[in-house]
Amino acid sequence: MNGKKRSYRMVPYLFLLPYLFAFITFRFGPSIAGFFVSLTRWNIVGQAKFVGFRNFIDLFQDPNFIKSLINTLYFMLLTVPALVIGGLMIAMLVDQPLRGRTATRTFVFMPYVIMSTVVGVIWLWIFDAQYGILNYYIGLLGIRPIAWLSNVNWAMPAVAIATIWWTIGFNMILFLAGLQDIPNELKEAARIDGASSWQTFWNITLPLLRPTTIIVVMLTLINTFQVFAQVYVMTGGGPEMATLTVVQYMYVQSFQYYRLGYGSAISYIVFVFLVGLILLERGLLKKSGDLD
Amino acid sequence: MKFKSVLFVAIAILILGTFSMAQPLRLVFWGGWTGPDGNVMRQLVSEYNSTHPNVVVSLTTMQWTPLFTKFLVSSRGGQSPNILAMHGPDVPEFASYGLLTPIGNIIKGAGFEASQFAPAAWNGTFYKGKQYAFPLDLHMNAIYYNQKLFEKAGITPPKGWITGKEFLDMAIKLTVDKNGKHPNQAGFDPNNVVQYGIALYSLNWHGFLQWYELLRQQGYNFLNSSMNEVGYPLNAGQKAWSWLQDLFFKYHVAPVGANSPLKDFLIGKTAMLEDGPWEMPAMEAQKGLKWSTFPVPQVFKYKAVWGSGHVLTIPVRQDKEHMKAAEEFVTWLLKHSDKWALSGNIPAYNSSRKFAYSLPGRAGFLAEASYVAMLPRIPKESQVFSSASVSPIVVAGQNILVRDKTILPVMKWMNEQINAIFNR
Repeated sequence: MNGKKRSYRMVPYLFLLPYLFAFITFRFGPSIAGFFVSLTRWNIVGQAKFVGFRNFIDLFQDPNFIKSLINTLYFMLLTVPALVIGGLMIAMLVDQPLRGRTATRTFVFMPYVIMSTVVGVIWLWIFDAQYGILNYYIGLLGIRPIAWLSNVNWAMPAVAIATIWWTIGFNMILFLAGLQDIPNELKEAARIDGASSWQTFWNITLPLLRPTTIIVVMLTLINTFQVFAQVYVMTGGGPEMATLTVVQYMYVQSFQYYRLGYGSAISYIVFVFLVGLILLERGLLKKSGDLD
Repeated sequence: MKFKSVLFVAIAILILGTFSMAQPLRLVFWGGWTGPDGNVMRQLVSEYNSTHPNVVVSLTTMQWTPLFTKFLVSSRGGQSPNILAMHGPDVPEFASYGLLTPIGNIIKGAGFEASQFAPAAWNGTFYKGKQYAFPLDLHMNAIYYNQKLFEKAGITPPKGWITGKEFLDMAIKLTVDKNGKHPNQAGFDPNNVVQYGIALYSLNWHGFLQWYELLRQQGYNFLNSSMNEVGYPLNAGQKAWSWLQDLFFKYHVAPVGANSPLKDFLIGKTAMLEDGPWEMPAMEAQKGLKWSTFPVPQVFKYKAVWGSGHVLTIPVRQDKEHMKAAEEFVTWLLKHSDKWALSGNIPAYNSSRKFAYSLPGRAGFLAEASYVAMLPRIPKESQVFSSASVSPIVVAGQNILVRDKTILPVMKWMNEQINAIFNR
């Protein structure tokens, strides 16, 4: 009898097995191997030479890597607040019983289903200095055309604008789900007690949205830290490395310079940063009592 | 019983024979031709397949950078293609990894010799005295020009090489501001130019390539004789950058920071464009555009133009049968490369190049065929001459040609960065 129970207990694991196999073979295994590669000098075809932590030491003395790190943090600064606050605002708007809210939800979410490379190409055209639609409209306002993607000061904001347009719909959906989980009774009770809309938002909606907000902030931080495709298509990291991001630098080192060890060291720095964020998220959720 | 056995053996032989006849030898051919050039190569491959029933060549195309990464990874796994296309300057890197078969004897055996090919294309197939590739073509910079805009400006298009001064005079005549004034006239407004003389690349590595050809026009090499550090005189480098920088910021004949010089030329915003033959299909597709080409200007003492060339290599680790079939295919392809001129590339094989003369717009490129200056052939080519945004040659070009920075410090920085790559 006990044996039968035990074998029943194994059933869910059997269902997990195909995924687990793929995960270990294509994700977990290469990730572990990547760490060993990061301790070597290796160009894929030759023999790897063990160099210890030399690649990591070199990285922090490499001005291009430092620049890519600063650029990535700048990109996060430009996008994360807009994506989180903007996502929440749009979610609150489309949560109202207004006419056309379903269509609005669809329109806001629609860009998210487009491939990142396609997003890059669309915005490449929009931002074109000579023929772009954006410069046409700002020209109507009497503003001189801006070389969005070839000017060192404008290139990163341009990539940020494209990213916000592309991904804000995802945050909206998460916030919308969070908003719909808040019981209406609480808001009604607040209204009966004479609370203004702002007070209701500040004292009821926002505190109850805390777990959703933590998840949205963390996911946005993780995704923006890994920015690659939009930059690759729109600017290639230029001009003058103004849009060079960490993941793009990893790509260049690994697949254009064939410096697999160095590229793997960059990927492990990204990995450590992301693990740190996830631990922080868990800590915050635990503290707020939302993680059992 | 005996009859049955004989019958059985006969049927078995028949089946096996049929089976082996139905299985022609498969050759895997990789190339980075992702535009209309890929279609031309596909037609050539298809012609070969239809005339050689025992072999099936299967062409796979993808962009060069991922193609080379895929090649390295597949070589590691023992799954190289049978034929791999690359550029002449790529040869030393892959040859130094031990991935390419030396083909000196094969090319001799096929009856080819140096005098039958454009010199730059032939020389681009060697590394450390050994030949590793078959030269397929040349592709170099030339000046595309808009015939209607030339007529409107009353300029007779050059038939061959012209001097830098003649070129600049043309570019000034072809640059017009909104009041109809040219850059050499009083009251010219550089902020309101409606038509530029020339479109030049400045945001990507082509900015450096334009500079490189001007350095070679002064008779200097970019690297020292040992090919292990930068070795050109700084004043020669400065003169070359200065000539380009002045086109943007002194004479205002080229738009600064143009995202797409090709697009500017196609719609008639610029009257000339310095670019390679791979743009020909775009020119031909543009309705109403009448265009042709002439060589890049000879600004300094010698004629020289940046160029490269596609070559065909036979990766190592294949059995004799595939190796032999690959050799035969490549030999056939070189001898039939006249049609390759339809892709815009200029065939390296002299007798195949003749067909290109009958095609429109090739005049400028053909006049340059003997003056092509390829980038130095070094094993660290992918890092030293990278087109990535972090590449020192790209960043230097952007600083000088887009931001108008003082040339000397930028050039010194570029040299230091490149020497650091050599010393790494």
